[in-house]
This record gives sequence, structure tokens and C-alpha cells, in this order.
Amino acid sequence: MDLDEIEILLVEDNPTDAELTIRALKKKNLANNLVWVKDGAEALDFLFATGEYADRSEEDLPKLVLLDLRMPKVDGLEVLQRIKADERTRKIPVVVLTSSKEDKDIVESYKLGVNSYVSKPVEFDEFTEAVSTLGLYWILLNKPPE
Amino acid sequence: MMCWGLCFQILTLKYNVVALIMRSKDVLEKYRIGASLIFLAAFFLIFNSAGNSVPSSFSSLFFAPVVLSSVWFNRRTWFAPVLLAAILIFIQLLANQFGFSFYDDYFLLVMFIFAVVIVAFLSERIEKVRSLNRLNEELENESKKLEDANKELEAFAYSVSHDLRVPLRAIDGFSRILVEDYEKELDDEGKRLINIIRENTKKMGQLIDDILQLSRAGRQEINLSQLDLESMFENVFNDLKQSHKERDITLEIEPLPQAYGDRILLQQVISNLMANSFKFTTPREKAVINVGFEVGKNEYIYYVKDNGVGFNMKYSGKLFGLFQRLHGQNEFEGTGVGLSIVQRIIRRHGGDVWGEGQVDEGATIYFSLPIIKEKNE
Repeated sequence: MDLDEIEILLVEDNPTDAELTIRALKKKNLANNLVWVKDGAEALDFLFATGEYADRSEEDLPKLVLLDLRMPKVDGLEVLQRIKADERTRKIPVVVLTSSKEDKDIVESYKLGVNSYVSKPVEFDEFTEAVSTLGLYWILLNKPPE
Repeated sequence: MMCWGLCFQILTLKYNVVALIMRSKDVLEKYRIGASLIFLAAFFLIFNSAGNSVPSSFSSLFFAPVVLSSVWFNRRTWFAPVLLAAILIFIQLLANQFGFSFYDDYFLLVMFIFAVVIVAFLSERIEKVRSLNRLNEELENESKKLEDANKELEAFAYSVSHDLRVPLRAIDGFSRILVEDYEKELDDEGKRLINIIRENTKKMGQLIDDILQLSRAGRQEINLSQLDLESMFENVFNDLKQSHKERDITLEIEPLPQAYGDRILLQQVISNLMANSFKFTTPREKAVINVGFEVGKNEYIYYVKDNGVGFNMKYSGKLFGLFQRLHGQNEFEGTGVGLSIVQRIIRRHGGDVWGEGQVDEGATIYFSLPIIKEKNE
């Protein structure tokens, strides 16, 4: 996979949740250019082309970041804060996709400038529906700045 | 003999002052022993000097209670000798009128009384301040513990909301994937078994949501505002009606007085009560829900009445218990949390909630909200 033409960056520490998410996106043919990173530190490495991803071109940014909140090392809110604080990455739509329904998390995410907050449903059909809907919206329907 | 008495007076006074200033626990213990010794010595002196030095024996007699009172800090321990002394003075004055005299220097006696009062008053004051300080400290400790417990609870709820859902989603998702990807290999029995797994994960998910709601109902801050309960009831009813289109169910609502409460929390109360009425009238061809109110002493009592399956009043105590259900799982769905949430919210508003019912006749749930008069008006 060409790491410079990534459409979706999935940041998710739980492998089963990641698999379910990828499966839901695949059904809508949205998972071809998807990269899955397992924690916040790796996500930052990818976005800012550092560490493991130092070879990647910094110019090419994903069209969408799907971000879990509770992760080891660097948590989702910090990743969000870093993305929105940096001029280079600020324009990337970030969707928080998390199990948390806590008001505190929702409020904090919006304060940091999240583009959308989606609470993962437990039920499979609802989950698939939610993930594919937001994938379709942000990748196909949404018009980002050039 | 007079000089012996004075010595004792000075000694006891000194003891009192020292003890008052540095009353730590072990000082107090030593002081008690010392005080008891002085008390005994005073008695000894009274008996020894009887007859030849009345004033000094009197003074010793009055200092003993001073010592006692500052040890036991009881109003009665010093009130008694003061009263006694007052009576003695009165007798002395009376005796002087008739030309008698028990002894000359009752001025000294007045001074004793004065000393007794001052010392007793001081020791009581000091002890009060001390115990107040102690209580304050304890209260501070307790509130700190409470705060910690609250924080822990919040962290726990957060963890529940996040961590328990993740494995559930995996169980549900992968059993579904199994059906999707291996449909040909699975026979009907296999599919049935997987369905059981999925139904149970759904129930578990519902349970987690309900418990979280309960915990939120308990800790969320209350923002009071004036609420139009009538329209809130109507809206909830209409929403529920939308998802139960096939049912013949009507709402009969009388004009309700405005209530003061938290909009989000009371919305939850109304939703839970209405959902219950919808649920328990399922077997009825024509279901009717009545909503009305009564005026209580300082409160409005609202009620939601239905003609559903009702309940046995024998179990009314269990109605609001957490996870308590009065119907079997195969009769009606539910986790047994709904009315617990209602109770918690209403109690936080300073009201109460109770229920009446009869099997096969219907149920009525009452909840009261205190009448709050607007100050600006």
C-alpha cells in the first residue's frame, strides 16, 4: 500500500473493534486506502512523518481520521489536540469514534475542535450502519478545502 | 491554719491555669490524678481544722468543686457549690442582722464564688472551642473521603461505559460475522444458538446503559428551571406512539401546574414512566394513560395511571428497588432499573415517589415535587 495516498487513518487500540470498523468500511468499498495504527503515538508519527513513518511524505494527509479516545501511551484527546493545534494538519476532518458516551468526553472533544463525535453502538447492525454512514459522508460527500 | 488554706487555694488555682492552657491528653490524665489528691487533701483539712479555722476550711471546701468542675466540665459540678455558697452568705447576712456572726471574712467567700464561676466558665468555653475544632477537623476529613469516593465512582462509571462495551461489541459483532461468512456451514440449530448469544449481548448492553443512566441521575448537577410538564408528557407520549403505531393507546392529560426542576432529569422521569405504561398495557386492546395532579401540603403530586396489567400491592416495596422486576423476563422486557432512576431523580428534587396498583386493573405511579415560589415575583 502506498502510504502517501491514504484516505482514512484509523486510530484504534482494540484489534476486534478495528476489525469490525474495517469490515464495515470495506462493505462500502471505503477501506482500500486505510491505515490502522494502534495508539496515539503511532498516529502522531504517521501524521507528522516521524519515527516509524519518517519516510512518508508529510504533504499527503489522510482525508479522514477516525479516532478512539482511550488508548495507551498518547490518548485520543491529546492526538486531537495536536492535530488541531498544528497548521499542517488542522484541516483534516477528525471523527471521534469511541465507546464512551460520557458528556465530559463529548464536551472536551468539541472544545478541541473535533469535526464529529460518534459513540460506537454495541449492536452489530447499528455499528456497521454508523461506521459506513460516516465513512460515506466524510470521504465521498464532504468537500474539504484544497 | 488560715495559711494552710491559702496555700491550697493558690496551689489549686495554679493547677487549674496550667491544665487549662496545656490540656493535651496525657497532661489531662496527670491533672486528674493531681486534682483528686487535692480534693482528698481538702477533705482532710476540713475535718482537721473544724472548729478553729472555719474560713480556711470553707475555702478548701469551695475549691474542691472548682477542681472538679475543670476536670469534668459539667455545669452542675460548679453550680452546686455556688448555690451552696450563696445560701451561706445569705445566712451570714441574716445572722448579722440579729447580731450573730459565724465568721468574719465572708468577703473571702465572695471571692471564692467569683473564682469558681470564672474558672468553670473558662474551662467550659475552652472545652467547647476544642470540641468544635475537633468536629471541624473530622468533618473536613469526612468530606475529603467523600470527595475521593465520588471521584472513584466517576472513574468507575467511566470505565464501565467504555471497557464493558468493547468486549460486548466484539461478541455481538463476531457472532454476526460468523453467520454472514459461514452461512452455508451453519444449520438452523447453529443459527439459533448464535441468536441466543446475540440476544444476550443486547440485554447486557441495555443493562450497562441503564446502570450508567442511574449513576448519572445520582451525580449530575441539578439546574432548576420552570418546566411545562404537560407538554413534556405530551411530547414523550407522541414519540412513543410513533414507535408503537399498531397500538390503540390514548393519553388523557389534565392541565398541569408548572414545575421547578432539572429539564433533562425530569424528561428522563417522564420517559421512564410513560415507557412503563406503554409496556405494561401491551396486552390491552384499548390502552389508556391518565396523567393528572393533586395539590399536597407544600408540593404538587403528579400521577401517571394506566389500565395495564398492574401489580400486587404486596410487592409495592420492591417497585423502586434496583434490578427488581415484578414480571417475568418472558412477559415483559426490562432490566429493573427504570423506576430506580425515577426515584433517585425525584428524591434529588426533594420530592417522593410511590405506586399503587391492582393485578389486571392497572398501576398508578405518583411523584411529588415541592412547590417553589419565584422570589422575583
